[in-house]
Amino acid sequence: MGLCDGQIGYALVPMIARGIMLGTDQPVILHMLDIPPAAEALNGVKMELVDAAFPLLKGVVATTDAVEACTGVNVAVMVGGFPRKEGMERKDVMSKNVSIYKSQASALEKHAAANCKVLVVANPANTNALILKEFAPSIPEKNITCLTRLDHNRALGQISEKLNVQVSDVKNVIIWGNHSSTQYPDVTHATVTTPAGEKRVPELVNDDEWLKSGFISTVQQRGAAIIKARKLSSALSAASSACDHIRDWVCGTPEGTWVSMGVYSDGSYNVPAGLIYSFPVTCRNGEWTIVQGLSIDEFSRKKLDLTAEELTEEKALAYSCLT
Amino acid sequence: MEALDLIQKIVIVLVCLYLSWRIIRYLWSFVDVEKDPLIVLVTGAAGQIGYALLPMIARGAMLGRDQPVIIHMLDIEPNAETLIGVKMELMDGAFPLLKGVIATTDVIEACKGVDVAIMLGGFPHRKDDNKDLIFSNVAIYKAQASALEQHADPDCKVLVVANPANTNALILKEYAPSIPEENITSLTRLDHNRALNQIAEKLNVNVGDVKNIIIWGNHSSNLYPDANHATVNTGVGHESVKELIDDDHWLNTNFITNVQTRGQTIVKARRLSCASSAAISVCDHMRDWILGTPTGTWVSMGVYSDGSYGIQPGLIYSFPVTCEKGEWSIVQGLKIDEFARGKMDALQRELIEEKRVAYSYPH
Repeated sequence: MGLCDGQIGYALVPMIARGIMLGTDQPVILHMLDIPPAAEALNGVKMELVDAAFPLLKGVVATTDAVEACTGVNVAVMVGGFPRKEGMERKDVMSKNVSIYKSQASALEKHAAANCKVLVVANPANTNALILKEFAPSIPEKNITCLTRLDHNRALGQISEKLNVQVSDVKNVIIWGNHSSTQYPDVTHATVTTPAGEKRVPELVNDDEWLKSGFISTVQQRGAAIIKARKLSSALSAASSACDHIRDWVCGTPEGTWVSMGVYSDGSYNVPAGLIYSFPVTCRNGEWTIVQGLSIDEFSRKKLDLTAEELTEEKALAYSCLT
Repeated sequence: MEALDLIQKIVIVLVCLYLSWRIIRYLWSFVDVEKDPLIVLVTGAAGQIGYALLPMIARGAMLGRDQPVIIHMLDIEPNAETLIGVKMELMDGAFPLLKGVIATTDVIEACKGVDVAIMLGGFPHRKDDNKDLIFSNVAIYKAQASALEQHADPDCKVLVVANPANTNALILKEYAPSIPEENITSLTRLDHNRALNQIAEKLNVNVGDVKNIIIWGNHSSNLYPDANHATVNTGVGHESVKELIDDDHWLNTNFITNVQTRGQTIVKARRLSCASSAAISVCDHMRDWILGTPTGTWVSMGVYSDGSYGIQPGLIYSFPVTCEKGEWSIVQGLKIDEFARGKMDALQRELIEEKRVAYSYPH
């Protein structure tokens, strides 16, 4: 469920119904929620889903009622939020999103399943997730996450293109921090699987200058580049990465591989606790764990701190909208 | 004694050979031998159906989760930038099965080595003149036929989606004579899936338990969904849909119009076309064709008619088919009642007329 952003939701629901998100042996019931002006369109999406005759899809609910949507939910994907429009101040966007996530937090807390896993996609994702957590105190904090898997996959793609290898042979990049322009794609610990074994990406690329500048800005601005080309946002890849995020969380990450998830920070890597911050995590038995003990060089340290500062500032702004 | 010795030696050698063979096989099973990638062409890839379809192909929904793919995306020049945006997104998907992507406006580059071709591109439908629509598409499909014939894999399987799908497929066939006629098909699987769902809703059963509906003829507003041979898996066996519904009037009227107008109903609600369900049915069509239909189940495909069921050869007409080893065969021997006969013949006339219009296109 989640306020259907239209595009991302439309790309996402067939993927869920096909078992890409939860596994091809896991039947699903979809609850789709949107605002009243979109009710008819939502019903159209429901019609298409049932026409697809998916064996795994055991039911579809299309509703504008948050309570109905949240009832019994095991997995919540929050795609909806208030998009930034031209001329809007940051505070205005924040204020609108804060009130949306406050009310959804309430509905989830009261009606969703006890161990409901939440993924917030709508921007500002990290701070929306934080608001959700604050107003749904009985949802375990480890169950509220935000999406940085899209940036993670984009970083993998950039490295695979640079090195001219298959993207499935690249792993263990890290997206640190905020899903914003201060995000830090870090390849210090990334590796490529070659016939001669696993090789470190920084050594293979052999171009620290590019890794510290061009590579970072390409990943940071990928979304804008796609909007410029398509004249529409990157719904396809966003939906796909949302599936990857949930699937790895629920079904576990492969041995020796970590992924990036925005999770409730516990002070690891000197990141202030109490933020939703993107870390490298492994997943097992439905739970994520931050990968510990990775070395952080001086360049990375600055980047980690910069994005933490931005998140602290966003948190303050969000709270000021509540008073 | 010598003979016994010899026999003993032979037995020992045979046992050793056998054990070695078992060991080799066991070790070999650890070697992850990946299949060679198949090249999939999608024309009109910058559009809505393409956007829904491409991630499905990249995830293995069309050709199987163990089948790597290389995707060739083709569209017209005005859409070149959009196409690049889509390519970027496919790369950002970090799909393990996706071994390469080409985004191009050059039909020859797009057709090179193609094993599977999904033709989404065509001149968009306008409310008026059907003749104009057919003519505009003849030019497109003639050019694409040429490119496919010269550059695609000789066993390339083609699915035409863009409307008028049946007639576009026929044009393609006519201008690509060296592509085996059984390799050129058109999509009626979307209507087939919609019909299954209408029955499932009427009987309040799971759509996965309904099968063997038939879509006859043309993917047009006159399409005929036939439930006469459809069955429902009730858990204790397969029961006839016709008997369970027990309402021939509904089956011959509302059921038919529901399926015929489903597309319009969805467009009215979404204010956009049914890209998602179309993409899904494209995957279903190809997957069943290549990987085979389940035992006891048939599906609907627009295929080159061979005279079955009294339908004139030389049309692309939708029939019930089963698929095995990458080939389809029309299900034979199904009883056709008078009502169905009337519908099937009307659709034949419609297709003959479309063919006539297409052939009258000035060369």
